[in-house]
Amino acid sequence: MVELTIDGKKVSVEDGITILKAAQMNGIKIPNMCYDKRLRPYGACRLCVVEAEKQPRLLASCSTPVAPGMVILTDTPKLRKVRQTVLELMLIHHPLDCPICDKAGECDLQDVAYEYGKPEGRFIRHRKAMPPDVRGPLVELTANRCILCGKCVRICSEHQGRGALGLIGRGFPTVVQPAFGEILECDYCGQCIDICPTGALLSKPFKFQARAWFLEEKDTICPFCGCGCTLTLGTREGNVLRSRGKEDNGRSEGNLCGRGRFGFDYIYSDNRLKTPLIRKNGAFVQATWDEALMHISDSLKYIINSYGKDSVGAIGSHRCTNEDNFMLRKFMVSVIGSHNMDSSAAFGYSKVQKALDMAFGLKTHSINMKSPLGKDVIFILESDISITHPVFGLNILQAKREGSQLIVADSRDTKLTRHSSNYLKMRQGTSVALLNGMMKIILDKGLFNREIVSKTQGFTEFETSLAEYTPGKVSKMTGISEEELVSTAETIAKAKNRMISLTVSATENTKGMDTVLAASNLVILLGEDIDALQIPAEYANTYGTYKMGIRPDAGKTDVKDIFDMLYETNSLNALYIMGEDPVSTFPYNSKIMRTLKSLELLVVQDIALTETAKLAHVVLPASSWAEKDGTFVNAEGIEQKIHRIVDAPGQSLPDWQILRNLSLSMGKEIAIRNIEGVSEEIKKTIREDQKTSDKRVFNTVSYSAGEEPDMEYPLSLVTRDVLQHSGSMSTRSKALDLVVSEAFLEINEDDARKFGISDNSHVKITSRRGTIYLKAKVTDTVQPGTVFTSMHFPHGRVNALTYPSENGAAGTDAVKIESVKG
Amino acid sequence: MRVEDLDVNEMIGDVGKIICEHDRKKGVLIHAFQKIQQDYGYLPGEVLMTLSKKLSLPLAEIYSVASFYKQFHFSPRGKKVVRVCMGTACHVRGAKNVLNALEDEFGIKQGETTDDLAMTLETVGCVGCCGLAPVATINEDVVGDIGKKKLELLVKAIKEEEK
Ligand code: SF4
Ligand code: SF4
Ligand code: SF4
Ligand code: FES
Ligand code: FES
Repeated sequence: MVELTIDGKKVSVEDGITILKAAQMNGIKIPNMCYDKRLRPYGACRLCVVEAEKQPRLLASCSTPVAPGMVILTDTPKLRKVRQTVLELMLIHHPLDCPICDKAGECDLQDVAYEYGKPEGRFIRHRKAMPPDVRGPLVELTANRCILCGKCVRICSEHQGRGALGLIGRGFPTVVQPAFGEILECDYCGQCIDICPTGALLSKPFKFQARAWFLEEKDTICPFCGCGCTLTLGTREGNVLRSRGKEDNGRSEGNLCGRGRFGFDYIYSDNRLKTPLIRKNGAFVQATWDEALMHISDSLKYIINSYGKDSVGAIGSHRCTNEDNFMLRKFMVSVIGSHNMDSSAAFGYSKVQKALDMAFGLKTHSINMKSPLGKDVIFILESDISITHPVFGLNILQAKREGSQLIVADSRDTKLTRHSSNYLKMRQGTSVALLNGMMKIILDKGLFNREIVSKTQGFTEFETSLAEYTPGKVSKMTGISEEELVSTAETIAKAKNRMISLTVSATENTKGMDTVLAASNLVILLGEDIDALQIPAEYANTYGTYKMGIRPDAGKTDVKDIFDMLYETNSLNALYIMGEDPVSTFPYNSKIMRTLKSLELLVVQDIALTETAKLAHVVLPASSWAEKDGTFVNAEGIEQKIHRIVDAPGQSLPDWQILRNLSLSMGKEIAIRNIEGVSEEIKKTIREDQKTSDKRVFNTVSYSAGEEPDMEYPLSLVTRDVLQHSGSMSTRSKALDLVVSEAFLEINEDDARKFGISDNSHVKITSRRGTIYLKAKVTDTVQPGTVFTSMHFPHGRVNALTYPSENGAAGTDAVKIESVKG
Repeated sequence: MRVEDLDVNEMIGDVGKIICEHDRKKGVLIHAFQKIQQDYGYLPGEVLMTLSKKLSLPLAEIYSVASFYKQFHFSPRGKKVVRVCMGTACHVRGAKNVLNALEDEFGIKQGETTDDLAMTLETVGCVGCCGLAPVATINEDVVGDIGKKKLELLVKAIKEEEK
């Protein structure tokens, strides 16, 4: 600890921190313009200067470390004068076009000028007059307003790991720009917008929407991925106009990705439902709530009477709150009397959960967003975490910057592979082989504690099962060289501590339950705790949906899961789907459609008329996430509140309320009146699952390829997420659609040549299950033999090609492609 | 030099041992630019792109460094680089006229290159022989005392070299 005096106040702070930090920690404000705690000190703006006793020079407090006995003054006439001059210089070229600048009212430059500025500047120069660069889709760059603090450049490259912007040129004419002054093509995270102290970088969708002082801001939780970032939504006259991150706010500490920042406008999509719809003679007609609920309860009663309670099933949703999902469960169990419930987690989190239960005896698996920090070695397995969980990904990059060794095994180039210390280029879908191979090496070299580990249940079978995974064989299966396999295994085994991370979800087809089991084996083999394994739940409330008991194994045995309900015709007679769009987002949708069409009653409750809703008998309009109160549980298992920020359109209602009303109209007395009532019931009913356990079991896993490519279907199709989207809801966001609006097929240059496909041309893609058409993107970021696409876009229909793998193995699909003429 | 063959550690030498990976890569940029410019005469976009991939440094960062230095160019340059001195002495003795005359004669502005890549026209601040003002240089050769007559000779000299 170091003791020093700041403005007469004796303070004691950690050694090595800067004067600015020490001041901030003690509630003393020093103006600053180029400092951000996420970035390395830069010392460009000189606003943060302070006086130090016995020092003739002024010190830039943001980049000067504290020293014992320092006596610092942060606000003196001399400093005010210096800051005035600094500002005067900054404002020489600044256009002072605050009247038409969206930043006005919350602009650091304006605020500091207001505090320190002089009415007159002594220097007369031409104000900069470059037209704003409006070519990019979401970020607008007005170089005139830039004070060259470099924060945007640094957050983009240091923190975001993207490096899309540079300070170009030298001296006065320096501008912030992408290389060669081209159109900004980047992650569109908008972090640079939040960090810019002036109006040089602004959100395009928000342009001229409202003055800052008319905006009402409220915090809520992002509706997209499992990171559970806190969004600060700005509304005016009942409309959400923008979303931003605020320093230190929430789990994300002010960071956001582009989905959270720009994607909220999906709630304004054109096909929002405003009234209930009932299908009559094949077409939808608008109905009142009473008619719709009566219709549903009559049909349900009839179906229960004729075929029994078990002929009814329900699908819940990661997009809905805990309260919504809880009510769905309550409706199913106590009104219908059926336990047939499941959700999209069946393709992701549930698999993870099941595997970890087998290996560690855990009923719940939460990650810790900060887990990467301070780890000796981080091993990422075939997962594009910077895309699926962007803010968790930022912490991985930060750990790497701070000295962790980042090893990434993947079949395509990603942001993580670019920032990795070691990049193992592997064949897609071979994670299990890779893990088994590494464990074999660890076993053979005795890099584990045999005495303890060999007592673990299942060890002998496990050890025998690995016999065939020799480096030579594994190298052939995975495409990773033997030397790399050995050195990676050694590095991971010898590390002081480690984090192994991967993702599993419905939108990816290369990993499954067996991957998680193999990774668990590695963790147990190395004598690590479960914390070493970080597998984030995929979406905003996947964790909560599971926790609320929307899963087939929560109550009774012999219950129908999602594979029975959606892929087996005649397994159900009625299905109630809340907030999910299986036709667009689950694999093998032709089969799903067949099943859904065979139902006697399909009720879909959603915010928009989705592809699934189009097949329903009754469609019920639900409020979106911004239009209701409730809670989400993020991938860390942390429960966070979301708030009703604007009114729901038309007659739409929160999901839980619809279910309560339906229960009432089915003649069931339910005493819940408001959201607090639901929360109380949840507290009473749902118990917290234990998060630790001493159980350790080795489960032998053998590598099985998905559909192997053959003569007829020579390529492997891999589905992955794209950064700007999450599930299919984000595709209704107009802002995000500006960046990526359709699925495309990424294909290696060599394959493109072989199959006569050129960039941007149309391709016909066929698997054993279906055919679709996509535009090709020829690239060297994917390997030959493999093509990549994403499942978000309903019109892409990519899931016509894929199949769900029930046994938990990975399920890559073999496809053939042909170029489409014309 | 092929960018693919660039060896960061060799180029940076012993200093590499005491600086971080990122700075090591950044440290070789200027050398790399100079070699690339030697081979191509300028820094072609695709080559910088290859360099960016090779070093895993963002293109914007690479471009930002290069754009700081006047010695690096991003478009092809003429065979003859003509620099008109705009330093104080030359300014006083009519450098502006020399520049204007050359601009008119070759139909390009300062900083530009003729379409046939024969000549690039630039300005400099003082080339160190103020006694001869106004001065211009053609590649390494200095032409001084540019009056009306000399100007014709200068133009001729530039054009002659083309053949
Ligand atoms: S939006 Fe994000 S990726 Fe794009 S320039 Fe800004 S900080 Fe960089
Ligand atoms: S654009 Fe904004 S953040 Fe970037 S250098 Fe200029 S003032 Fe700073
Ligand atoms: S999508 Fe995920 S990372 Fe992005 S803002 Fe939302 S919660 Fe955060
Ligand atoms: S904040 Fe210290 S120099 Fe800018
Ligand atoms: S001013 Fe032209 S040579 Fe010095």
